[in-house]
Amino acid sequence: MKTINKDVIIVGGGPAGLAAALELYKQGIKDILILERETELGGILKQCIHDGFGLTRFKESYTGPEYAEKFIEKVKLLKIPYRTGSMVLSVSDEREVKVASREGLVLYRAKTVIMAMGCREKTRGALAIPGERPAGIYTAGVAQAYINLHNKMIGKNVIVLGSGDIGLIMARRLTLEGANVVAVFEIQPYPSGLNRNIEQCLNDYNIPLYLSHTVTNIHGKSRLKGVTVSKVDNEFQPIKGTEKYYETDTLVLSVGLIPENELSLSASVKLDLRTNGALVDTYFQTSVEGIFSVGNALHVHDLVDFVSLEAEKAALSVKRYLEQGQLPECDIVIKTDENIIYTVPQRLNKHDAGDLSFRVRKPMKNALLKVVQSGRLIYEESFKTIVPAEMKKIKLPRNVLEISEAVEVSLEC
Amino acid sequence: MYDVIIIGAGVVGSAIARELSRYQLKIGVLEKNLDVCNEGSGRNSAVIHGGFAYDPGSNKAKFCVEGCLGFKELAEELDIPFRQTGKVLVGNTEEDYQHLLKTIETGRVNGSIGLRMLDKEELANMLPSVIGEFAMYSPLSGIVDPFIYTIALAENATTNGVDYFFNQEVTSISRNSAHMHTIQTTKEVFETKWVINCAGLNCVAISEMLGIAGYEIGFTKGDYIVLDNKVGSLLPMPVYPVPSRTYMGIHVTPTIDGNVTVGPNANNVEDKSNYGVSKIHMDQLAEDAITLWPHIHKKDYIRNYAGIQPTWIDKEGLIKDYVIEVNDKYANVVNLIGIESPALTSAVPIARHVVGLISEKEDLKKNLEFNPSRKGIVKFSDQPDTVKASLIEKNPDYGEIVCRCEMVSKAEILEAIHNPLGVDTMLGIKYRTRAMMGRCQGGYCQMKIAAMIEEEKDKHVTELMHGRQNSNLFTGKVK
Amino acid sequence: MLKEYTCIICPQGCDIEVIIDKKTKNITNIIGNNCSKGEDYVMQELVNPQRTLQSSVLVLSGELPLVSVKTSGSVARDNLPQLMDLINSLSLTAPITIGDILYENMLGLNINLIATKNVNKCK
Repeated sequence: MKTINKDVIIVGGGPAGLAAALELYKQGIKDILILERETELGGILKQCIHDGFGLTRFKESYTGPEYAEKFIEKVKLLKIPYRTGSMVLSVSDEREVKVASREGLVLYRAKTVIMAMGCREKTRGALAIPGERPAGIYTAGVAQAYINLHNKMIGKNVIVLGSGDIGLIMARRLTLEGANVVAVFEIQPYPSGLNRNIEQCLNDYNIPLYLSHTVTNIHGKSRLKGVTVSKVDNEFQPIKGTEKYYETDTLVLSVGLIPENELSLSASVKLDLRTNGALVDTYFQTSVEGIFSVGNALHVHDLVDFVSLEAEKAALSVKRYLEQGQLPECDIVIKTDENIIYTVPQRLNKHDAGDLSFRVRKPMKNALLKVVQSGRLIYEESFKTIVPAEMKKIKLPRNVLEISEAVEVSLEC
Repeated sequence: MYDVIIIGAGVVGSAIARELSRYQLKIGVLEKNLDVCNEGSGRNSAVIHGGFAYDPGSNKAKFCVEGCLGFKELAEELDIPFRQTGKVLVGNTEEDYQHLLKTIETGRVNGSIGLRMLDKEELANMLPSVIGEFAMYSPLSGIVDPFIYTIALAENATTNGVDYFFNQEVTSISRNSAHMHTIQTTKEVFETKWVINCAGLNCVAISEMLGIAGYEIGFTKGDYIVLDNKVGSLLPMPVYPVPSRTYMGIHVTPTIDGNVTVGPNANNVEDKSNYGVSKIHMDQLAEDAITLWPHIHKKDYIRNYAGIQPTWIDKEGLIKDYVIEVNDKYANVVNLIGIESPALTSAVPIARHVVGLISEKEDLKKNLEFNPSRKGIVKFSDQPDTVKASLIEKNPDYGEIVCRCEMVSKAEILEAIHNPLGVDTMLGIKYRTRAMMGRCQGGYCQMKIAAMIEEEKDKHVTELMHGRQNSNLFTGKVK
Repeated sequence: MLKEYTCIICPQGCDIEVIIDKKTKNITNIIGNNCSKGEDYVMQELVNPQRTLQSSVLVLSGELPLVSVKTSGSVARDNLPQLMDLINSLSLTAPITIGDILYENMLGLNINLIATKNVNKCK
């Protein structure tokens, strides 16, 4: 097996990987290789043909493929090395990256690895939805790929479970392409997606949204015939007597994304069970020396603009690591209260605190975020409204964390 | 004109097809579904049983023990994924202990080999994750891939000259004065001398078409939960609680792919085609099994399934033995009724018995071309790096990984699409390659696989099937 | 009656609340917008919502069967079904370059159909 040394191996040629590559190149790090399993760069953006991408970064509303092309054309122009049709089989904790492609099996010995594999979708099986197993049940991303990339129409009478942005986008997509979207059901008492998508994807097409509802049974032996939907209580348990049968031939599941970290596990990278992504420090370095994590593989983002920004920041750290041989220790652990699901990063350095991304557990209004170290208030910010669907960022001032004690982040109304 | 038509391409029908292909006979298999192994054969615990759970002298005991003892060799011959893991029956009370002693004795009488008791310490050493005071250990029990097992039997039968017909449900059978049969299916008419009823859940319906009335079967449904393979390493062998008279108990069983199944329960049902699993049952399975093996958590559920077995029950509700009969009044027929668990283990011995019954009436001549070996699709992911590299060099399609989670290459998917039985459903490809069986359940690769089936088999988008008839994946093109 | 909007004119995405009198249907208050563009946006939404459209068009002889497309500007929401009919009637031949104008002045509404990805010719 051929063995090649590399300064940086980037696993994934989607928005995170591309942004990291371009920033590294800009910073003078040229011995990079992007490894992409598809035949084209761009990642999931290739199938996100709707607009709304790049509002922050480019002040334009691009479609997914257009946003991706802004990076791809630069990568090609600068001749930044990349290989498509290349599947990373494993990454070791010594940063040996094994790759399979039509050209053969190659082992890259990398000084640094950037894990940018994106995420996968939660499936029906993982939800343990009871009932039969007919054809006609698709996760939203799969439905999107079939319709937008493969020219295959998945059904005629559709029910969407989950009001996250992907489910909402697909409700509109399906309607535009001639399907009848019967309803969207959401288990939470509030929508998971952004208001503007509720407006433009559901209200525009008179598609009803039922909150606090979920699918409790699936009917149909060969192809889906219908679903039973029930109202749920505060503990998300179906309420007896509220069952309603809906005739439908297609069920689209938009019930959650999980960062894809099989390769991170193979490298013994420690994961945060709250994000299902790697535990990282302020430099985006994981628990394994020289392995960094960015993008949806690290934590599920809502705006690709922030994915690119995050990847660029990580690239600066990768450069610093290559130049200095190591990065400063990040021994300040971040603790969160019950209102915050997670923060990324999970550990800070007292000099390079930087940005902190976080998500709230449930919608809050007029909330005050406090960052406290050993009883001392380090930072506070108020948020008029804050919802789980929108990842928030705060910028911690530099050099205010004086000691290596844990930091507590809390959110109160 | 066929010499033998076998109705049903499950593990038993396919085993019989293969055994008969050792002789110079024109053999056909009629299957109502689009692939083999769609019903009972593919919906079970996937365990090769030791044979101690059955009444001495019964068909079940005889065939199960024979099947267990010969399975390792069969698996090698047909390239079937099989692991002789051993199995334990775990007990806690004095009553359990006595039951297990009796079971060992029954096993001994039946011919099972190596059964012995384990005390608490031995059990804890062998299975630290299991809760129990003592256990009976069956060293020759094992776990198998039931799909590849049935597919292997069918493919080998096909290689040796058997014709398989899919999407053909038998609707009527008539017999002339010379005891030659005419079988009408939903598509064609077949003329044959012998008819072998391997119709499983529909065995009584076929039996009645053959004029053999009077059999009644019940349908016993078992539900299973499948757990993520990250808990697989905690369960090296099937673990059963001490059984009752009517069913095995809520087992936890490792699968050949490294997952764990929890189940089955056993409920009588009316609808033999409803494989839906209810939430209540899933909760009950978990609640029950967790007292035996505590690593059952909702976050590790990846899917669930159910199986339904044809149980020949008498008026007292007791499960009876296999019926495998010939009768001069209904000449040229072998009738199989109630072939439920342990049919997976017993399939080849049953088949040999059936051949024996036919040989009493026919002068069977050996097929000198018979080749008992069958090689499956080489699994890229299982090979060491040197072999992986050389596979890619010889065929670059091995370097193109289609299913990321199970690391299945394009070469394997193509081989599966062009399988000897001519099956081209998504599930057909799934069972032959493990693609779409991993964590993302086809979220990444199903689109590519659908496109490959479309192109390789020159199908229209509306002809792509998930698994069953009319399980259309798509309504048409978007544009 | 309270209607909530998230303005999409600029990246700030102000959350704007519009209070409408149920009987007269007149707007009694608009709050939350940082500039007048936001007010214009919600007024337009109430009176004649404008939408951009993204879909796909069939491609012949291409490495991909579809090219993703968008309208160059927004149209009245009510025009969307007719626009979709027009898009569905089209078929193009590869190669197609991102940014290509695939159809000019759709339905006489002064907007074009633009390709949003590259589709190379099939080898």
